[in-house]
Order: sequence, then structure tokens, then C-alpha cells
Amino acid sequence: MEVIKNFPDSEIVGNIRSGERMDEIIKALYRMHFDSLCWHIMNNSGSREDAEDIFQEVVVSFIDLVQKDKFRGESSVKTFLFSLNRNLWLNELKRKGRALAREEKFEKGQERTEADFGHQLADREGKLAVLNVVERLGETCKKILLLFYYENLPMKDIVSATDFENEQVVRNKKYKCLKQLEQMLDANPILKQTLKNLLHG
Amino acid sequence: MDNFTHNDEELLVQYLDGVLDEHTKAEVEKKLNSDTEFRNAYESLLLTKEAVKQYGLKEKVAGIHKGMMKEMQQAPIRHISSARRAVRYTISVAAALIVLIGSFMLYNFYSLSAEKVFNSGFQSYDLSTARGNEEKESVIAKAYRSKKFDDVVKLYEAGADSSKEAMFLTGMSALELKENSKAISNFKMLIAANQQNNEKLYNDDAEYYLSLSYIRNGDYDFALGLLHKIKDDSNHRYNKKVTAKLLRQIKMLKWR
Repeated sequence: MEVIKNFPDSEIVGNIRSGERMDEIIKALYRMHFDSLCWHIMNNSGSREDAEDIFQEVVVSFIDLVQKDKFRGESSVKTFLFSLNRNLWLNELKRKGRALAREEKFEKGQERTEADFGHQLADREGKLAVLNVVERLGETCKKILLLFYYENLPMKDIVSATDFENEQVVRNKKYKCLKQLEQMLDANPILKQTLKNLLHG
Repeated sequence: MDNFTHNDEELLVQYLDGVLDEHTKAEVEKKLNSDTEFRNAYESLLLTKEAVKQYGLKEKVAGIHKGMMKEMQQAPIRHISSARRAVRYTISVAAALIVLIGSFMLYNFYSLSAEKVFNSGFQSYDLSTARGNEEKESVIAKAYRSKKFDDVVKLYEAGADSSKEAMFLTGMSALELKENSKAISNFKMLIAANQQNNEKLYNDDAEYYLSLSYIRNGDYDFALGLLHKIKDDSNHRYNKKVTAKLLRQIKMLKWR
């Protein structure tokens, strides 16, 4: 049985920055914060499904921002996640045209916090479109690119994880897959702008 | 991208992957600083890599999400409906009101004193409203009118006047001087005398001010008995003065 443990903020941030124990840290974020953030959405016109979707995005955004050194620890992880959750949900409500007057008033009354990466969070649709483009890549391409650029595995490990003969073949395949994805993204300049926002903030 | 070759593309991917030797890496960086087309091509690769990383992170979280939802299903979060929220809000407001009212009542309970209750019911007896002919006034009545309460008591005790009026005014003077026992004694004497003679002279006044004397003296049961009698008698001159609030306050003093 897995031991349920509350991680201090410093441990969460430190591990995300180093990319170590990511599964454990993500699970800890769920155990420590899902209930309260879910409650907030369900009490602001959202369903359980909305809350789950938004929480996934909160975790993704949080990890992404920490890894890009955009979380400076000016607020606690809890406060930061709450702000992300609120901003993402308000953007979603606006998109659906369901933002309630009191929620908009609440938003206006809020001071800007560390978690206000509005241009990133507001471009939820753009981000989803980027992810859809990657999704459209073939399974092999996705696997190679993810193992190399996301998991940071060395070529020899990727050879073991795939059916390719040797590192050079994998390297060539990876190059082709990368260029293929680049071309797919090039087809939509808006997606490039979304990626620029995600990359440079 | 006419000048941009396939070799350039491969070189940039290798630079992106961090697999170039120091010399080649330095050459690429030099070109990145000087060649806009080269730099744009690299930026495009960076964005493509970013797309992969975003996808990877999303997939990683989505994979863990499923497992966590299964784990957390054992303690599902209840959705709070608008009606339920309204009930909760109403209960909160009611609870706050109860606390507020309770605090107010507690404050009243503990800040209440015999002196406060006495003062709320006491009004100096104004002789001029009861009598008009000052020429026939007794020496005690004159002293009382002049608010010489000490003199009134001294004159009465010296036997200057033993009338019921003198008895009453001495009781009132004793009340003004905060001599409760003396006031009680005089009022009781007057009431007893009236009962004996089957008269009512100053009787209503004596009963009311006797009850006030009891209050200030801490004899709450006696005060309550007398005040209830006054309240039950609609013809009593002080009937309207005996309010439910006054009776409640005396009971509170008694409980304390």
C-alpha cells in the first residue's frame, strides 16, 4: 500500500524543477489539492467533469511554469494552484458564455498574483489545438519524440523501447518525425503564436 | 529559405538535441546571432520541441489522473446545489444572529445591577403635583419640597410630624439618601397604617416605592411579589410602570 504523504512546497517545487519523482509529486498534488479545487468549481457552476478537466490543466500549467522558473515561490503552492484553478475556470466560463456577474466581479476585485499568466491560460483553445496536432502524428513518431524530448531518454534506450534496428535508424526517424511535426504546426501560424507564449511567457 | 540547406537543418536539430561538439556548437551559435533566417529556423524547432513537451506533460498527468480518480472515488465530493447553498447560508445567518443575540443577552445579564434596575423605575416624588396649598404645608413637606432630605428624616425622627404624609415623605427622603432600610421601614409602616385605618392615603405611592427599595436592597422576592400585585391591579396608580421588562430584569438579578 502506498504511503500517503504531504509534501512541503520546497520538495514539490524542487522535484518538479529537477524532473525527479514526477509521478509521486503529481499524485501528491492530487491528494493534497484536488478536493478543495474541485469543490470551488462545483460551487461555481461547474460539474465534477469540469473540475477534473480543469484540475488536470492546473497541474500541467503548474509543472510547466515551475520548470520554466516562472514560479518564484512568492505564494504557497496551494495559493498558486487555487489562482490557476480560478483563472482557468473563469476563462472556461467566459468561453462558454456562462460567467456569472458575481464571478466577474470577483475576478475584477482580485489583485494580480504570481499565477496570473493570463495570456497563457486564456489561450486554452490554442493549446488544445497544438496538442491535437501532436496527437495526429503517427504512433511511432509520437513515441520516439516523447521518449527523446519529454522523457529525455538516451538513443540506446529508445532503440530498446522500439522495434528499430539501431540508434542511427532511430535518429533518422526522429529527425523526420520532428520535421513532420514542424510542418504540421507551420500550417497554422496561430498555433506557433500559442507555442511562443508557452515557451517564452 | 533559399540559402537554407538540408545540412543547416540537420545541424540545427543536432544543436537542439545538444549532441554537437564544442567547436561546431560555437559556430552554430555564431550563426544564430548573425543570420535571421537561421535563427528563425531554430526558433521553429524550439517551438516544435515545446509542442512535444506539452503533449508529453499532458499525457503524463492524464495517465495519473485516471488512477487518482479511482483512488478518490471512495470519498466522492458532494455537489452543493443552489437550494442547499441557500439553506446553508440561511443557517449560517441564523447561527450568527443567535450568537449575536446570545452575546447581547449575556452582556445584559452580566452588566445588569440592582442600581440600574432601580434607576430605570425611580422618579423623584414631586410634591407640587400632589398638593397645591403651600400655606398649610407641614414643616416636613416644606423641607422635602426644598430637597432637604436629611432635614426631613431628622424632623420625622424628632417627632415633628407623624402623619401619613410625613411617613411617606420620610420614606422618599430615605430613598433619595440611599438609606434603603429606613425607606422600607417607613413605607411598610404607612401601608400597615392604611390597612389598619382602612385608608389609601399615599398607599399606591408607598407600594411602588417600597418595591423599588426592595430592589436596591437586594430583596428581589419581596419586590417581585409587590410588583405583581401592582401589575394585577389595573386601578393602581403605578400599574403602567410595572412592565414585563422590569419584572424580567428583577428575575435575572435573582438568578444571578
